[in-house]
Amino acid sequence: MDSICHYRNSEPAASGDGPLRGLRVALQPNFSVAGWPAEAGSKALAQFTALEDATIVRRLRRAGAVLWGSTRMSEFGFGLRGSQAGGALLERAADVELVLDLMGESRAAASRAGVCGFKPSYGLVSRCGLVDLIPSMECCGLLSRSLAQIREILKVVAGPDEGDFSLPDEKAPDFSSQAIDPSRIRIGVLREAREALSAGAQASLQASVDELARAGFSMVEVSLPEHGLFPVVHRIAGSVEASSCAGRYDSVRYGARAPGGKNWNGMYIRTRGAAFGALLKSYLIQGAFFQFDRYGAFEDACRIRARLVAGMERLAAEADFLLLPAVDGAAPEAPATLAETYAQFAPTLFANVTGQPALFLPARPGAPGAGFQLAGPRRSDPRLIALGEHVLKGRKGGGQ
Amino acid sequence: MEFEAVIGLEIHVELNGTTKMFCDCPNRPGDEPNANTCPICLWFPGAMPRFSQEALEKAVLLCLGLGAEIQPRSVFDQKVYYYPDLPKGYQLSQAHLPLSRGGGIEITDGSGQRKKLRIHHIHMEEDVAKLMHEMEGRTPISLIDFNRAGSPLVEIVTEPDFRAPEEAMEFLKALRTQVRYVGSSECSMENGTMRVDANISVRPQGTSQMNTKVEVKNMNSIRHVGDAIAYEIRRQCAAVQAGEAVVLHTRLWDPDQKATVPMRAKFEGPCVPDPAVPVIELSREWIEAMRARLPEMPSVRADRFVREHGLTAEEAAFLNADPEVAGYFESVVREGIAPRTAMHWVTTQLMPALRERQLELGGSPIAPARFAVLLRMLSRDEINANAAREVLAHMFDSAESPEVIVGARGFQQVSDPGALDSLISQVCEAHPAAVADVRAGQGKAMGFLIGQVMQASGGKANPKKIRELLAQKFGAKA
Ligand SMILES: [Zn+2]
Repeated sequence: MDSICHYRNSEPAASGDGPLRGLRVALQPNFSVAGWPAEAGSKALAQFTALEDATIVRRLRRAGAVLWGSTRMSEFGFGLRGSQAGGALLERAADVELVLDLMGESRAAASRAGVCGFKPSYGLVSRCGLVDLIPSMECCGLLSRSLAQIREILKVVAGPDEGDFSLPDEKAPDFSSQAIDPSRIRIGVLREAREALSAGAQASLQASVDELARAGFSMVEVSLPEHGLFPVVHRIAGSVEASSCAGRYDSVRYGARAPGGKNWNGMYIRTRGAAFGALLKSYLIQGAFFQFDRYGAFEDACRIRARLVAGMERLAAEADFLLLPAVDGAAPEAPATLAETYAQFAPTLFANVTGQPALFLPARPGAPGAGFQLAGPRRSDPRLIALGEHVLKGRKGGGQ
Repeated sequence: MEFEAVIGLEIHVELNGTTKMFCDCPNRPGDEPNANTCPICLWFPGAMPRFSQEALEKAVLLCLGLGAEIQPRSVFDQKVYYYPDLPKGYQLSQAHLPLSRGGGIEITDGSGQRKKLRIHHIHMEEDVAKLMHEMEGRTPISLIDFNRAGSPLVEIVTEPDFRAPEEAMEFLKALRTQVRYVGSSECSMENGTMRVDANISVRPQGTSQMNTKVEVKNMNSIRHVGDAIAYEIRRQCAAVQAGEAVVLHTRLWDPDQKATVPMRAKFEGPCVPDPAVPVIELSREWIEAMRARLPEMPSVRADRFVREHGLTAEEAAFLNADPEVAGYFESVVREGIAPRTAMHWVTTQLMPALRERQLELGGSPIAPARFAVLLRMLSRDEINANAAREVLAHMFDSAESPEVIVGARGFQQVSDPGALDSLISQVCEAHPAAVADVRAGQGKAMGFLIGQVMQASGGKANPKKIRELLAQKFGAKA
């Protein structure tokens, strides 16, 4: 268990009464739990202990959930290198895991563990108390074997928070279970996403298309010619935000400080050089490069991002939901470089760029590949989860 | 070759909101170091900014008071810079979409002409922490006080409309008055609630080119701003005449040397949007509701003083330099005192008396109604001006009414012809030469005799009455 666990709660039973009573939740050490280490997988935050509960954590506690502990994570949650996300589910130590999703980490971890993974709409769940890296892209992802559990958790944690002013004031949508009538639902398959896949991955995706078609959904092909720009937009805008954001992790008030600096400037340079791992460092340096030397490219990325958001919104006229691949088997398993990391998350990062909800479902037993993603328009979360539940129920029923 | 200077100002004004801009900590930078801090203003991991409505209102009132156009949509960015007073690595500031655009202040320039100095825009930002450099034995150490970190600021960026140091000084004085009027800040350069940077370049007189500018910082009074700009204009003119190029850089004003010296610039980067701070969208109705909260601005009020109270433009401007003084003046006038008397006595007697005693108008024992009683006795000739000055001095030390003070201390003016006649006879006997001069029609000698009679009365005689009686006596015109 130590290989999975970063921090183990010694008093897990001390929780209140409520709709989540007894539900065991594992999270990552970039979610603040008062008194727990919140090092976010980085030496830059070594020995930093959270002062207050994150809003999500407070709401979970109040609803009676049991905080099991935190799992090992990648540095600041960027990619899955060094992460044990999903491990607490596999060990049956927890019922639900919270995993920050910056470019698809929660969905990729779900795929690795063979469970469901859900990234909510941006702005649906408070980020207050989350150690951030890419504030405009990241959001709290949820892993569980049961979509009903994910729904129950969202009932409790979603909605406005006076600690997070970036959330809209509108009430969270209703997460009660709802019926799905496949004959009235069109699911679009994004041509460009499919064409970008290796042959093996295309075959897995086709199996998913067939499954949904057999379940009675109308399957349509849709197209977003600019789809190929998602990774470059994420990489430029994300790295610039990360570079600015990580400026505060200076190891002056917490974190490991490197000795030998002759003055404050030398102290910062040495410390930051020693504090960040190689992958994150290259990401931050890339962000600094765009910030200071190619600011125009950053502005272009922001403009293209707005166009991509509009493009995906337009697709909603042709299809109620989208079916997308989740992983490309050809991408490296444990990427060491930025290029490899972006290749691994190429199928998932679109939802972080647009802020729309995305759901990973494991493949039908016996079907090729690990599983697929379903995505919906922003704030269609309850319907998207209902769609997932409908698909999973169809399998249990042994239908086709 | 004749040169002219092109000057623009960047003015940081610390708003006097009760809390900081993005958290609930008290906005009291002067408290015990690091007393007013929390995870948000210490910029701890996981903390998110919570924008203060009060800071927004104070900033909007300030903009409206300067005639600026509030933008329906304004946005905070992370302004990246790298310095130990900003451990977060970025400052939340409105770099691209500021709170307001336009506006300005009218001043009187060196040739006596009215001139409008335009404001380009005003944006909000959070203040940074304060560094204190000390010695621990022989080791220099730097301490960081976060009390000021996150305090609400606005930055007022002007157009390069200024041509002379005096214009900058006039502008700053008027700005200070207007901002104090709306109540958004104390605007004191001495206390650091107003900080001014000046951008200065020179060019041949009459041309319209914009040459490389130099930024000058570190002036801590309006006087220093004038001195620093004047020095920098001389320095740049000399450099250009010597054929040297002016390079873009920042200089610090050294008040001891009375010179600007080059400084190493802070490492400043570009701006990154921050989704954690909500976009500020202001409806027309809300902006108009704020405008309705605006007090009458000094220039408007000064015009009214000229119109309604018959003051000169200079007198009206003088009274309106301080909203409290202007308000006090009006209260006294409302008590039925002639405006000219009120203006004269407030500015030449009451204000110097307050300064002497280091009192503020608001906290002084001389409430407008009480002061009006004194002035009413004066205008009814119950006391003369000498006595009124003395009664005023007593009013600071006792809570008694001016009438009681006058009665108890015998300040009443002597207007009784019988009593005055005997004094006049004494004085005329003692000064026959002056009497002869008066008979010969010399006005000066008349004044001398009046003075002598006043003195003989112990300052209590009514000078008007003396003049009347003397005129009768010598058959001259009163
Ligand atoms: Zn605070």
